Amino acid sequence: MLALLFILFAGLAIGCALAVVAQRNPLYSAISLIGVFISLACLYVMLAAPFIAAVQVIVYAGAIMVLVVFVIMLLNVEHEDARRTKIGFLLPAALVLAAVLIAEVAFILVSVDKASFPTSSASSIGSTASIGSQLFTTYLLPFEITSILLLMAIVGAMTLARRTKELSANARVIPGAQLLAANVVDSSKFLDDTTAIETDTVDEAASLLGISSPRDPSERD
Amino acid sequence: MEPQLSWYLALSAVLFTIGVAGVIIKRNVIAMFMCIELMLNAVNLTFVSFASFFQDVTGQLFVFIVMTVAAAEAAVGLGIIIAIFRNRESLDVDDASILKL
Repeated sequence: MLALLFILFAGLAIGCALAVVAQRNPLYSAISLIGVFISLACLYVMLAAPFIAAVQVIVYAGAIMVLVVFVIMLLNVEHEDARRTKIGFLLPAALVLAAVLIAEVAFILVSVDKASFPTSSASSIGSTASIGSQLFTTYLLPFEITSILLLMAIVGAMTLARRTKELSANARVIPGAQLLAANVVDSSKFLDDTTAIETDTVDEAASLLGISSPRDPSERD
Repeated sequence: MEPQLSWYLALSAVLFTIGVAGVIIKRNVIAMFMCIELMLNAVNLTFVSFASFFQDVTGQLFVFIVMTVAAAEAAVGLGIIIAIFRNRESLDVDDASILKL
């Protein structure tokens, strides 16, 4: 019975993992990866690790994959083009490495002793209580380092994903519009008129101010 | 017939290899990122199966910390991907061969 369940979930995991690699559309790859995560969570339940299974579903299939799918949709990723480069000598190298891997797996299957998992009935291994007590006593230092790592990740992600504004020294900000360099705005023309005008785009602001062409936003320094 | 430890180890090796192959084959940055997540999960499966085999909770704590690192990696990695996409209008790794953003 357990062997059947293992074969079911292992087959599901391998099939979804192959689909992750085979799909051209990254969104389909993400959906397949969620399938891998959920079948692995089922395997964790079979291995008497219910806490890890729940965290797998919540953190991996929930948080991380939602982030990935969000980025895929934000960037509007198109299909992958066909590979331009030739594989050439890579093919025999890949065959050799695959042979090494198959030998390794065969070695595992043959040489690891056939002992099944211990079936102690009163095992509390894997329960939330045992994990928590270990995490806050023996492994307290890694836990605290992990929190520092998460803080660094938050700061790093915000720094990286922030849109960098390249302001020259003589730029000035027009409220309600975007950025215009000071030398394209003739400020003396507007000193007698202090009425606030709201604009939404640079072009609109430029036409109101009588400037021919603002800085091209797609231009890079 | 009960599942044995070697079954789980073989499954983990297969998943890890599929992840490695994906990192090598794919050219889209996000797809490569997902293949790295696949490799992390294969290692997690090894940890959990050994923890269950030896009746030791340490392996599961490792998995917990690996998941945290994976979450941090996802946040920073996707931030880098967005920064690259803004500058190059492309997610192809071959277009991002220069480190200058």
